Amino acid sequence: MITIQGLSKSFTTRSGERVDALRDVSLDVGENEFLTVLGPSGCGKTTLLRAVAGLVPWDGGDIAVDGSPVRGPGPDRAVVFQNFALLPWATVLDNVAFGLRMRGVGRAERAERARSLIATVGLEGCEAKLPGELSGGMQQRVGIARALTVRPRVLLMDEPFGAVDEQTRRLLQEELLAIWEEHRMTVVFITHSMEEAVLLGDRVALMSARPGRIAEIVPVRLPRPRSRDVGGVARSGEYAEITAYLWERLRDMHAEHRPDRAHRPDEVAS
Amino acid sequence: MTLSITRRSAAVFRAAMFRKAFPHPNATIIPGTTPAPGATPVPSTTTPPNTTALPSTTTARNAPTHRKPRRSGRGPQAGPRPTRPTGPLRRLLDMNLPYQLLTFAVLATCWELYAGVRGGLLLPGFAETVRATAGLLGEAELWRALYVSNQALVLGFALAVVVGVPLGTALGRFRLLERYADVHLNILLVTPMAALIPLLVMSVGVGTVSRVVLVALFSVVMVIVNSRAGVRQVDPALIEMARSFGAGERTVWARILLPAALPAVMTGVRLGLGRAVTGMVLVELLMVSDGIGGLILTYRGLLKAPQLYGTIAVILAEALLLGAAAHWAERRLARWTRPNPSRTRTARSQR
Amino acid sequence: MTAPTPVEHRPGGARRRPAAARLRRLPAAPVSLAAGAAAWEAVGRTADASALPPLSTVLDRLVEATRQGTIASSLADSLVNLALGLVISLAAGLLVGTAMGRWRRVDAALGVYVHALLAAPSLVFAPVFFSLLGAGRASIVAVVVTYAVFVVVVNTAAGVRSVPPHLVEMAHSYGASERQVLVRVVLPAAAPLIMAGVRLGVGRAVTGMINGEMFISVVGLGRLVTEAGGRFDSAGVLAVLLIVIAVALAALALVQAVDRTVTRWVPRTWKEER
Repeated sequence: MITIQGLSKSFTTRSGERVDALRDVSLDVGENEFLTVLGPSGCGKTTLLRAVAGLVPWDGGDIAVDGSPVRGPGPDRAVVFQNFALLPWATVLDNVAFGLRMRGVGRAERAERARSLIATVGLEGCEAKLPGELSGGMQQRVGIARALTVRPRVLLMDEPFGAVDEQTRRLLQEELLAIWEEHRMTVVFITHSMEEAVLLGDRVALMSARPGRIAEIVPVRLPRPRSRDVGGVARSGEYAEITAYLWERLRDMHAEHRPDRAHRPDEVAS
Repeated sequence: MTLSITRRSAAVFRAAMFRKAFPHPNATIIPGTTPAPGATPVPSTTTPPNTTALPSTTTARNAPTHRKPRRSGRGPQAGPRPTRPTGPLRRLLDMNLPYQLLTFAVLATCWELYAGVRGGLLLPGFAETVRATAGLLGEAELWRALYVSNQALVLGFALAVVVGVPLGTALGRFRLLERYADVHLNILLVTPMAALIPLLVMSVGVGTVSRVVLVALFSVVMVIVNSRAGVRQVDPALIEMARSFGAGERTVWARILLPAALPAVMTGVRLGLGRAVTGMVLVELLMVSDGIGGLILTYRGLLKAPQLYGTIAVILAEALLLGAAAHWAERRLARWTRPNPSRTRTARSQR
Repeated sequence: MTAPTPVEHRPGGARRRPAAARLRRLPAAPVSLAAGAAAWEAVGRTADASALPPLSTVLDRLVEATRQGTIASSLADSLVNLALGLVISLAAGLLVGTAMGRWRRVDAALGVYVHALLAAPSLVFAPVFFSLLGAGRASIVAVVVTYAVFVVVVNTAAGVRSVPPHLVEMAHSYGASERQVLVRVVLPAAAPLIMAGVRLGVGRAVTGMINGEMFISVVGLGRLVTEAGGRFDSAGVLAVLLIVIAVALAALALVQAVDRTVTRWVPRTWKEER
């Protein structure tokens, strides 16, 4: 579904330093797969997602979605932003319908599709509210609904639950699972939470920082559907094992920047 | 109607609240977004109609907004980045000066051409004006006029500062006083002071006194309003902190209120200086034909158009020089309000 | 962020005394205005200075002038000048400001000059207009524009520049065209700052109107001021001044009403204390 080949991108910081945000990243995402991308902050995971979304140029490599190369944003992909990116002056209904409006869908159809998705994310009755009147969790539901209205084949989620509190985050995870299990689409989900990566993903792409590259791809063989019994999933041995393993790897990456911890004996076998 | 004007400050304040509307840290990308802390902390609360007291307004000029040139048109381009020209040409295109010079050249050419076609007694060409300006600078007449004008400017502006700063800070600290003075201040802010000139001439005559008073009137409101806002927006936690260490009212003033309000007071002084220059020219143009404004009227009467334009250029130059000097002084005195960039970034991302 | 954060409550001033508490409960603005009017009347009567007639005399003069019809016709002239000047300022200001905010090169080319002209004493251009456009309405309108346009430009540019990039990016991710981004995202997001600029522009325009009319002195309230000044009719000057203040306040109230509807969405985290 998504093929990324040898993608690299660097940028120059204000001090003139050249930083490799991504170096030679190759990744395949299957049809209807839920791929989570996990990595330390600053590892370029957001850059990777924005490149797939067609929002930023890159230096080398290729990205193709369904065989056609990415040259800009396209109707096959929709993005859910970390900071929601809702228009503060527009009502929930108008925000959800924004994507359709940009694509020239007529008013009546826009409203109809937006309303049905507002219901899907559980925001009935909030259609006329402004984003400022909603909690963070509700705002991100609007963001998700907006992305879903355009019926994308690929949903790109950039740390979508990073800005909400822990409890809301769990609820949103369950709801996202339920929506995905019902509608089935390809999802690339960026996160910095190991638990979230394991709970949601079919595979976890572990990224390392500076240069940003895919360090390892960890398959998650937890049964689906998971939305019915999130608690059960979280208690399973497999879940604990993968999370522990991911933390091992992440800690090693962090340790590379802390020489005092670097020669720690490798006591845990995975 | 008075109600609406009291609310005006609130409405203007919303501009400062603008960034609250977009509470997300992406703002770091553009330095001009948020009023850089303290660049002009104040004016937002009280934006008088005659200034650009808006925080972002001034910020837009203070903080160099050297953003990456936005790829305009046709949305973003993705895909492999096209190779961009590098080297001297690129650097030249990224600088401001070439564009500024270009604009100047275009304007000067247009002026020259227009004057060539439509020119006459009252419309000299650009080159002619430049020559006349240079000539003026060598004439005693101009310097005498400048001396007379600036005498009024200095005295009037000093008066405005001496009266305005204490009054403004007092208004900011004593809420009751402020509550009752507010409506009058708001009216003063919209009053065209020029209309008071006839009254001044009636009471104190056509002399230096009336010019000094008018200059003071022009600038004092701005000084008061900004000083008031400066004191008013001092973080109450700082005052509580000082009190917790046993500070009395005097110490609070000396150690907390005045230092914290200084940047805002300086902004008021700077804006007040701008208004003072306006007042100086205005009174001479409208009623008291003396000084540099009087010179304009004289040249107009004698139909010496190049000299008339030259005098205008001299006035503009003085206004800009004084403005730049005030800006520089403001930055020097209120340096703590310009945080170093790295600290700003952390502060912002924590928000 | 330290400085610009609004302070929710003012540092508590003097300790509350019963009298102060009583004063606190009164509606400040009307009481203060009435007190100001009374003080004016009293000072005017006792001082007996020609330059400061008591308020009652000024009001009498105002009624008289209104009866004669001079006020009404001059007011109409002035309002036309103001309206023309404002329309031109707004149109030009929004256009240029948006271009400056959106395109760096336009900003580089014009920014310096706009800021310089904003800081300059605008009335010095009056003699230029006078010679270019003659002693008529066109010159006065040009003066109004010089007073009002630059602040609109600067604020519009700042507003457009401060639009959160993530909103623009979001719109692009849905394939929005440049025009759609401008109309649906950039201009609405910039509205609060643009409106602040318009408000400042209106205030400056009223000043420009009076100053221009006083300088060119052929029509409008400004001419009335000059004439009354020439007759040493201080009550007449003040009567016109009252009218001008009323015009300014009314114009600002109008802008405010528009502003309130345009920027309703901006969260009211900062409440007025009054």
